[in-house]
Amino acid sequence: MTETTDEARFRRVFSHFGAVSAYAARRGSRDPDGVAAEVMTIAWRRLQAVPADDPLPWLYGTARNVVYAEARSRRRSAPGETSTAPAPEVRSLDPELDRALRALRDPDREALLLVAWEDLTPTQAAAALGITPTAFRVRLYRARRRLRATLASSQPAPMPQLDVEGT
Amino acid sequence: MTNDTTLTRLRAANPVAEASTIDDEALFERIVALPTQSARRRPRRNRRMLVLVAATFVAAVAASTAYALTHWVFPDVVHAPVSRAEYKRAQTILELPPGYTWPAIDFRADTVMVRGGGGSMAVSIDQSAWECYWAGAIQRGDAAAATHAHAALDDLMRNRISIAPQGAPENWGPTNATFPWLVYADDGGYQYKQRIYAEAAAGKPAGLEQSCRANGP
Repeated sequence: MTETTDEARFRRVFSHFGAVSAYAARRGSRDPDGVAAEVMTIAWRRLQAVPADDPLPWLYGTARNVVYAEARSRRRSAPGETSTAPAPEVRSLDPELDRALRALRDPDREALLLVAWEDLTPTQAAAALGITPTAFRVRLYRARRRLRATLASSQPAPMPQLDVEGT
Repeated sequence: MTNDTTLTRLRAANPVAEASTIDDEALFERIVALPTQSARRRPRRNRRMLVLVAATFVAAVAASTAYALTHWVFPDVVHAPVSRAEYKRAQTILELPPGYTWPAIDFRADTVMVRGGGGSMAVSIDQSAWECYWAGAIQRGDAAAATHAHAALDDLMRNRISIAPQGAPENWGPTNATFPWLVYADDGGYQYKQRIYAEAAAGKPAGLEQSCRANGP
């Protein structure tokens, strides 16, 4: 059976399924493959909006919203629950780094993780966050400085509940 | 810029070091069986929505010379800034399905609507979005997403949508409704929605899919 142009294009997008699933797992999703499947469904439905040359930032941006929606839904069903059990394949972070990351504002944390864990370039990460590359570089610089300062301090950082930024 | 020790330490702590590869042809086939946005018909508003009919009617008499008359005949009509603000405010109250965004609506300067109309448009868009999200969830076998969508639509039907009484004027609005609200004409439209939701919950999503195709984003 021959694929349509759209299907051929979507197959290239779909090849990033594993990367999207890993992203969801790194952000604490309990069902990373489910998140990736939902992101792919959205990508297919809005294929014209997905950049053909580099779909990964778009996919991460969408995955971020889906993971947040999952977290919101979880909090609604279990209002008292503040900690999240990650997917089983996820290695736990060292407590000091975990604390320091949680102490960051959500946009700062996401800027750092897109570069450090998702290995995106600043331009790609800016696209994932919907901001300009210049704004992203400023955000990344500040985030690194804040993380470094928190890690350097001997006092344990506060552990606010992960904040959900609007879609 | 990215080679300092903080980032190096963070990179080393990556909790999922490598992305797995997936070769799930069945999932791929299920997804591409769904309609794409470009394959759908141009979105159109649900004709049953009394509020939008009223808005169209009122807009027709919105020539500047009719401004005073409009306000005299329909004391509850509002202009674009109010409707735009209502639409924005409704977005902070209503929840869209994951992956959906609010469409930008061009409230032209000469637009007039009934008070609350901007919020009603948001409810209508939200309802259509959840219908499409539900249809997609059923197609890909995502029970959790389907349950979520069903609950969201139940909530809209129960708390945001009401039926105008028989013989009510076109600019009728519920008296004690919580903003935002949407009014259906008493022509069976509300019951039709109830029926297709019940059928979708029972595993027959044909009506839901049709409604999504007709009204979805």
